[in-house]
Amino acid sequence: MSAFVVLFASALFSFAIRGVLIQKAFAFSALVVAGSLVILGYTTPLSGFGSNTIISFFELIVFIVFGAVVLSEDETINITQSLFIASASLLLLESKTILTFVISFEALSIISFILVSNIKNATQAEGALKMFISGAIATGLIVLGLSLYTIEGHSLNEAISMKAGLFGTLGLWIILVGLFYKLTIVPMHGWAADSYAQVRPSHAAVLSGVAKTVVVIALFYTFSPFILENLSFNSPIFLVLSVVTMTIGNVLALFQKKIGRILSYSSIAHAGYMLLPFAVLESSFASTGLLYMAIAYIFMQTALFLLLDKLSNGNSDMTLEQFKGLATKQKLSALFFTVQLFSLAGIPLLGGFISKAILVYAVVDVNLTVVALIVLLNSALSVGYYAWIIKHIYFDGVSGENKITQVAIMPLLAQTILLLGTLYFGIFAYSVFSVTI
Amino acid sequence: MSSLLLIFSPIVLSLFVYFITRNSGYAKYIALALFGWMLFESITLYMQLPQTGYMLLGEFLDVKAFDFKLVLQVDRLSVIMLLLTSVLLILVTLSSWSMKNQAAYFALLIFFSGAIFGVFMSTNFLWFFIFWELTLIPMYFLVGVWGAEGRVYAAIKFFLYTHVASMFILLAFFLIYKQSGTFDMTMIKEAVLVTPTLIWWLLFIGFAVKMPLFPFHTWLPDAHVQAPAPVSVLLAGVLLKMGAYAMIRMVILMLPLEAQKYAWVILILGLLSLLYAGFMALYETHVKKMVAYSSISHMGLVAIAISAMSFESLSAGVYEMIGHAFIISPLFLIAGFFHHKTGSWQMGDMGGIMQKSPYVSAIFVLAGLGALGLPATMGFIGELTILISSIERFGTWLIIILLGSMLSAAYLIWTFRRVIYGEMSELVMKTEFSMSKVEFLSLMIFAILIVLFGIYPQPLFDMINQVFSGYVIGGAL
Repeated sequence: MSAFVVLFASALFSFAIRGVLIQKAFAFSALVVAGSLVILGYTTPLSGFGSNTIISFFELIVFIVFGAVVLSEDETINITQSLFIASASLLLLESKTILTFVISFEALSIISFILVSNIKNATQAEGALKMFISGAIATGLIVLGLSLYTIEGHSLNEAISMKAGLFGTLGLWIILVGLFYKLTIVPMHGWAADSYAQVRPSHAAVLSGVAKTVVVIALFYTFSPFILENLSFNSPIFLVLSVVTMTIGNVLALFQKKIGRILSYSSIAHAGYMLLPFAVLESSFASTGLLYMAIAYIFMQTALFLLLDKLSNGNSDMTLEQFKGLATKQKLSALFFTVQLFSLAGIPLLGGFISKAILVYAVVDVNLTVVALIVLLNSALSVGYYAWIIKHIYFDGVSGENKITQVAIMPLLAQTILLLGTLYFGIFAYSVFSVTI
Repeated sequence: MSSLLLIFSPIVLSLFVYFITRNSGYAKYIALALFGWMLFESITLYMQLPQTGYMLLGEFLDVKAFDFKLVLQVDRLSVIMLLLTSVLLILVTLSSWSMKNQAAYFALLIFFSGAIFGVFMSTNFLWFFIFWELTLIPMYFLVGVWGAEGRVYAAIKFFLYTHVASMFILLAFFLIYKQSGTFDMTMIKEAVLVTPTLIWWLLFIGFAVKMPLFPFHTWLPDAHVQAPAPVSVLLAGVLLKMGAYAMIRMVILMLPLEAQKYAWVILILGLLSLLYAGFMALYETHVKKMVAYSSISHMGLVAIAISAMSFESLSAGVYEMIGHAFIISPLFLIAGFFHHKTGSWQMGDMGGIMQKSPYVSAIFVLAGLGALGLPATMGFIGELTILISSIERFGTWLIIILLGSMLSAAYLIWTFRRVIYGEMSELVMKTEFSMSKVEFLSLMIFAILIVLFGIYPQPLFDMINQVFSGYVIGGAL
C-alpha cells in the first residue's frame, strides 16, 4: 500500500506544479518510486488489502504503461489524472474483500469520469456523458447486488463467500453484470463503442487500455473462488458471453469508417477474449492466459490510442481516409501504429500472439475444441479490419484532406516504451510464466 | 548461436535497411551479401549433417510450463529447403535490381528471409507456427505496395485466406500438445494421440491452402497476378514449398497411419488440381494468370507424389518441388517483363516478341518446355519419376497424369504461338524490349539450372534420397 500513498500524494501535490515538463518529470519519478516500492515489497498492512507476486508484477506493468502515458501527455490536468488513476488501479488490484473491491472500483470509475470530462467539443461531451450514465447504471446494479448478497448475512469485510445461497448468487451475478458494463461485455457494450470513439483518444487510451485490464485482473482474483465453486453453472454463461462479445466486436469493427471506432470495437472484442479464462478456470493455463492477455493488451491498446491522439491532435473524428499515406509522411509513427495493430491481430513475435495462444490453449485444455476453433477464427477474421487500416497507412498515396499532425519526440519515446513491451512479451514468454506457474 | 543469427539478424537488419539506407541503392547490395551468407551457411549445414536424423543447432528461450522453446534443428529435408530458398532469394534480388522504392522493398525481402529460415529450422511447433505466420507480413506488403492495379484486394485476400487456414494448424498443434504433452515435432508418436484423425484433417486443410490444392487455391491466382514478378517467384518458389514441406513433414511423416488411410484424399485433390488448373491455364488469355495456373497444376503433381507415400515417390515429389521453383520462376519473371514493357497482360496484344527480344524469348520457351516436361529439362525427370512411382503405388489408371502433361503442352505451346512467335502485333512493334544485364543474368542462371539438373539430376537425387532413408513409411516401402 505504500506505493499507493506515494502515488496519491504526488497526484495531489502535482496540482501545485506549473509547467508541463516539470510535471512530467515529477509524475515520472513518482511512478518510478512507486514501482521500486512494489519491487522491494514494502507493504503497509491495511485490512482488506493485500498483494502477491502476480499482482505486483502486473502493477509494475501498469506503472510502465502510465510512464508512457505521462510522457505522451501534453496537458497538466491529464498528467495529474493519470497519477490518480494509477493510484486507484493499485487500490483495486490489491483489494481483497468485496467491500474494498467495490469501493476501489468506484474510485477508479469516478476518477475516469473526471478524466473524460476535460472536454474540447460537443462530440467529446457526448462521449463523456454516455460513459457517465452507463457508469451510473453500473454502480446502481453493483449496489443492488451488494444488498442482495448481504441479505444472506455474508460479511462484506471478507473475501467472497464460497457458500452463497440463492440470493447471494443472484447478488454476485448482478454485481458481475454491473462490472461487465466497465468491461464492455455484449450486451453491456453499447456505450463503449461510442464513448471510446468520441472522447479524446488519449483518454480512451487510459480507459480502454489501462482501466479495463485492471478491472478484469482484479475481477478475476476476487471472483474466481465464486465462479469456481459452481463452475458447471457459471462456465457456460461466461463462454457464451465471451464468444458473443468477441464475435460482435469483430463483426461490427469491419463496418467502421473512423479509426477510433474500429479500435473501440476491437477493444470490445478483446474484452470477449479476456472473459474466456473465467469459463475455463479448471485449466491451469487460465490465470496465465488472462494475465498474459492483460499485459499484451495494455501495451498495444494504450499505444494505439495514444498515437492516434498525437496523429489527430486530440481530435476523435479521425477517419480512415485521413490516414491515407501516413507511411510516406511519418515513417516511424506509421511503423509503431502498424506493429501494434499486428499485435492486436495476433501476429507472432508480438505480445498479442502468445497471449491469445495461451488463452486458446486453456480452452483446448478443458476439451472445448469447437470453442477454441471459434475463437481462433474470430481472431483470424479480425485481421480483415486491421489489415484494412494498414492498407490506408501503407498502400495508398497521401490524400487531399490530410490533417495528420507530426508526432513530437516525447510521444515517440512513449511509443518506443510501449513497443518494447509488446516485443518483449512477444518473445520472452517465460517472464510471465515464471510469475504464474 | 550462428543458427539464431541466421533467423534474427535479417529481422533486425531489415529495420536498419528500411530506416537508414533511404533508397540510396545500397539496400540491394546489403540484401545480396546477406543472402550470399545465408547460402554459404546452408551449404555449411549441409556438409555437417549426419547421415540420418536431425542435427541440433541450439535451444533457446525455454518456457518449461508450456514446452515453448525455440529449438533449432535441421535434417536433410530442411537443409534442402534452405538451399533452395537461399538460391531463390539471391536470384530474386538480382531480378528486382531496378525495383522502385528499394529501401522498403529489400527490407521486406530481408525480413522474409529470416522468417522463412525460421520455418525450415525450428522443430518446436509453436515456433514453427510463429515463423510460418511471420512470412505473411512481408508478403502482404510486397503484394500490396508494389503490386499491379488490383493489389489491395489481392494482398488482403492472400493475408486473410492463409491466416484463417493457419488457425486450423494452430488448433492441431494445441491438440497434439494436449494429447502428447510436447510441442517437439521430432518426438510425436502417432500412437500416443487420442484424436489423430481430427489432427490429421486440421493439418491437412491448413497446409493444403498454402500448397495450394484445389479447392483451396483461389487466393493464389489473385496474389500471383497482382504481385510484382520477383515476388511471384518468392510466392511460387518459397511459399508454396513451405506448404509442401509441411505437408511432407507433418501430414505424411509424422502421422503415417492416418496419412495412409486418407492418402486417396490427397491423391484426388492433387489430380483435381493438376487437371482443373491445367484447363484453367488453357482457357486463360492473361499471360501471368496462365503461369499461375500452370504453377497450381504442377503443385498438383507434387501432391500426387506425396500421396503415394513411397520412398521413390516422396523423393520424386521433392525433386519436382525444386524443379517447379526453377521452371516457374523464369516464366513469372518474363511474363512480368513483357507486361512491364508492353503494358498489357493479354496474349492477344502480343505476338512475335521473338524477333524483338530473342534471348529473353528463348529462355521463356526453354522454361515453358521444362514445364511441359520435355526431356533434358528438370520438368521431364520430375514428371517421369512421379508417374512411375505413383503408378507403382496406385495402379495403371494413374496414367491419366499424362493428361495433365498433355494439357500443359497444349497451353504452353499455344502460348508460345500467341506471344513469342506468330505475327508481330502493333503493340510489340512499337515497344522497346530492353532488359538490364543483372536481371538477364538471373534468367540465365535459371535456364542453366533447368538444363543442368535435367541432364544430370544425380547430385540432386543423391541429396534427396538420403532425406527419406531414415524413415520407415507405409505404402510401397
